[in-house]
Amino acid sequence: MTTTELRRTTSSSDPKVGRYGDIRELLPDVDNPTPLVRLNHVVAAAELDVYLKLEWLNPFGSIKDRAARYLFEGLRTRKELAGRELVEASSGNTAIALAALAALEGKKLTVTIPDGVPDEKKVLLRMLGAEVWETPDDLCPVDHPKDGAIALARSLAASEGGERYVMVNQYENADNVTAHYETTGPEIWRQTEGAIRYFVAGFGTCGTLTGVGRYLKERNPSISIIAVEPQPGHRLPGLKSFAEAKEPGIMDRTVIDEVVPVDDETAYATTDRLWREEALMVGPSTGAIVAATYHLEPEAQGLVVGVSPDGGRSYAGYFAERLGDAGSPQI
Amino acid sequence: MSNPTPTPTPLATTLDCSGLLCPLPVYKAGIALRRLEPGQVLELTTTDPGALEDIPAMARQRGDTLVRAENHGKTQVFWIEKGTQT
Repeated sequence: MTTTELRRTTSSSDPKVGRYGDIRELLPDVDNPTPLVRLNHVVAAAELDVYLKLEWLNPFGSIKDRAARYLFEGLRTRKELAGRELVEASSGNTAIALAALAALEGKKLTVTIPDGVPDEKKVLLRMLGAEVWETPDDLCPVDHPKDGAIALARSLAASEGGERYVMVNQYENADNVTAHYETTGPEIWRQTEGAIRYFVAGFGTCGTLTGVGRYLKERNPSISIIAVEPQPGHRLPGLKSFAEAKEPGIMDRTVIDEVVPVDDETAYATTDRLWREEALMVGPSTGAIVAATYHLEPEAQGLVVGVSPDGGRSYAGYFAERLGDAGSPQI
Repeated sequence: MSNPTPTPTPLATTLDCSGLLCPLPVYKAGIALRRLEPGQVLELTTTDPGALEDIPAMARQRGDTLVRAENHGKTQVFWIEKGTQT
């Protein structure tokens, strides 16, 4: 086939060929799932088969690629995109995926981003052409909600007659749940051949917990859905403590069987082990999720699937602080 | 609200947040104040009544001084002097 002919037939119908006409064709679905990889060393008990779903192998680098695609398409279907800019509150990953999709469509995205998000993510956003508004959590000085970035995005969307911006609103938008109900859930069910017994994910927007939880419970009501909750004041981007943040409107607590609290030190120590014993270069929220599997009931057995929401490359600054002089020559 | 008096000096900059809903004026005022030297004054105009609570609270929280505030019904005007610790 000549180069010209290749250009005319951009993507191949056979995924094994690996030729795509557009980066969006790499977004996951049940026929193009992200991998499940078994943990062989960082496991609580021999009776448990723990697998991580490596969402950082998505084209824009995190599990939020799924939600962003559905959120973006939902806005397009409802004709809310025309003539307006996008605004969203995000701790980084959703915004990065949205910024990538917006760049492909020539749309402008403004991101209100909470304190404490790694600089690496802010740079990625700006590289993709997004405008980044760093926002203190306690921005609203009167009632002090822990959601300054969300409040600021809402005020941007509502200001100037509401004509300039449309807010994507991942915390309240049902498209976030649908993304996981239609992709992540069916992928896991097929990849485990129906053998999954525990699903573990973190509190955040709760799109993953609600969408995957709902799908899996419909297939087998005995599957346990485990939510991981960080402590107030934590340093685990992407996760939320509902002791200090408002619960998202899309969260469905009826599909959650257990909430496991995980502190920062345990999450980061587990992350260290995942890098050094499993060669899994994950972000700290994966450490929190794997740490939660150590809190399953003693008689737990069977197949566990935990989400690995993102990779560790965006947290190099955090890891450098934690490492100190470790790994440097000791002279 | 105080009666109209001469504009506090030294006025360094003005910021018009008309049409913007809170906390957007708080956010923009914070950025404007960061660019000032201690003792310089920001004149801020808003149209969201929520600013009547939010802006004085912001000034207290930041360690700035709310020199004067005027409520004209549809608009509010604040003069904020940047503190030495902000």
